[in-house]
Amino acid sequence: MDRLKKAALLTRLIKRLREEESWCGETHVQKATFFLQRLMQVPLGFDFILYKHGPFSFDLRDELTALRADDLVRLEPQGPYGPRIAATERSKYIEELYSKTLAEYGGRIDFVAKSLGRKGVADLERLATALYITELAGSGASVNERANQMTALKPHIPPEIARDAIEQVDRIIREAQRYLPA
Amino acid sequence: MSRNFHEIRDPIHAFVQMDNDEREVVNSRPFQRLRHVHQLALTYLIYPAATHKRFEHSLGVMELASRVYDVVTHPDNVTEKMKDRLRPLTDSDKLRYWRRTLRMAALCHDIGHLPFSHAAEKELLPEEWDHERLTRELIASEEMQEIWNRITPPLRVEDVVKLAVGPKKAKHLTFNDWETILSEIIVGDAFGVDRMDYLLRDSHHIGVAYGKFDHYRLIDTLRILPMPSCGDDNESSEELALGVEEGGIHSAEALLLARYFMYSQVYCHPVRRIYDIHLTDFLREWLPDARFPTDLQQHLRMTDNEVTAALLDAAHDQKKRGHVHARRIVARDHFKLIYQRNPSDVEINPEAGKAIFEALCDKFGSENFRHDRYHQKSGSSDFPVKMRDGRIVSSLAISQALNTIPVVSVDYVFAERAVFNEAEKYLRQHRDKIIRPKKEEDNG
Repeated sequence: MDRLKKAALLTRLIKRLREEESWCGETHVQKATFFLQRLMQVPLGFDFILYKHGPFSFDLRDELTALRADDLVRLEPQGPYGPRIAATERSKYIEELYSKTLAEYGGRIDFVAKSLGRKGVADLERLATALYITELAGSGASVNERANQMTALKPHIPPEIARDAIEQVDRIIREAQRYLPA
Repeated sequence: MSRNFHEIRDPIHAFVQMDNDEREVVNSRPFQRLRHVHQLALTYLIYPAATHKRFEHSLGVMELASRVYDVVTHPDNVTEKMKDRLRPLTDSDKLRYWRRTLRMAALCHDIGHLPFSHAAEKELLPEEWDHERLTRELIASEEMQEIWNRITPPLRVEDVVKLAVGPKKAKHLTFNDWETILSEIIVGDAFGVDRMDYLLRDSHHIGVAYGKFDHYRLIDTLRILPMPSCGDDNESSEELALGVEEGGIHSAEALLLARYFMYSQVYCHPVRRIYDIHLTDFLREWLPDARFPTDLQQHLRMTDNEVTAALLDAAHDQKKRGHVHARRIVARDHFKLIYQRNPSDVEINPEAGKAIFEALCDKFGSENFRHDRYHQKSGSSDFPVKMRDGRIVSSLAISQALNTIPVVSVDYVFAERAVFNEAEKYLRQHRDKIIRPKKEEDNG
């Protein structure tokens, strides 16, 4: 995908996350982008691995840095906490250029923002890991099988929390179907 | 009785110490090959003293890696909660095993580098290959495997690989938290010792002061810390990362400023970048099938020396493959910078260089222009800081300096000297039209 087109999708996602009252730090953007690309099939082309706390893309990290260089996003330091990410005024201009793409994928971005916008960072780490494992395990795997895989990979997640995350992700996957092409 | 410890003089760290097992690695063919791979490719054509090699850099990385390891695993710097998450911290045998593995991984982290380092890596290796994959394969090669097996206790190949290249370049391997933190000691974004050593070493050899920082103070204050919470939840991320104690924040700022200055003024110097491009053009014509070999034996035989000999040969003989590009390098007849990124163009089109390059190629022929685009490859300068009162806060919350370090982004277009004046005139007349991006619908 053309770099500026990707920029338009990412800045729209960041805006929508902020509208849904997300803290919108890097972890939030990483996990929301993972859902957008893998569950909602928006072809952003980032390469995700299972990192310290859930799926993570070094490419996406580099791209967010590049967007800062282009003044399309900025970091907002917030007291003792990690910084928030915000889309700049200039990002509107890029979004106007790619209005056709945003019309095509806007519904999927809204869905991700609404589903994840109010989640905290620990919740997002678990949900994104649950989606990663669900993809890996295939459609036949039961909730318990996937929860066991999750605790094996991430021993700091207790089994009952892992099960809950898998069930939540199953619900999100079901709801997502109406936004996806048949 | 033979000695088990050896010392090598080093201009950055005074001495690099090693034991017999480490000396075996240093004496291995993959490591000795690094004596013939320049750390900074053709940078010596601009900064004449930049002739240092990956060999001494790798020794320096080993030295710094264990200094960091000793600090962050020191009992005074480890909390009970951390011991619970990172189990090797409670077992002295494991601590010794991982220290040794870390030093070996640091030694080997660059053994897969191609001739002239990064200069031509992306274009001249097959899909799915990069120097880190060659590094992984060499660490797992029979020659190195024999060394790992002779050590007591033997080192697991997979552990050396993980720490040497990190999760980004070993996607097929699963890292636990401990392994991730150790790999960060070598290849980490903010405090990786690979970067610490090359900034110090490159600035020393090049003769610039702005790559230097107080690495002694910085290393003394490094700690494994939880990432700061986000303020959106009572439950914060449980991610652990390398951070600093409050007293080390100014040294950390100095490191990240050094990185900015070295990238913007040395690594991204336009003449250095165009020499890399001419070298890539030469290699594409000179190498069989326009690709570096991925066979390990062939890789071990190919260094900067073989390429330099071919380059000099081709530069003086019109019939040799790659003559045109070789001559440009040897005769210093490189393409000239005709366009570089600037704030007013970025406001109109962040990819203005690409638009200009394509327009100039259409008008004057693609053989006369080259485009070079590079973005800084790392995240923000956000890392955990342990305050004197025990709170963990984001570095960006307490350091104004870190918030204002610009992101390095390069967008250059270079022109053949014969068409330069005409192309420059054309650009002056049409620049605004060229760089204005079209709306998606208009593209058809």
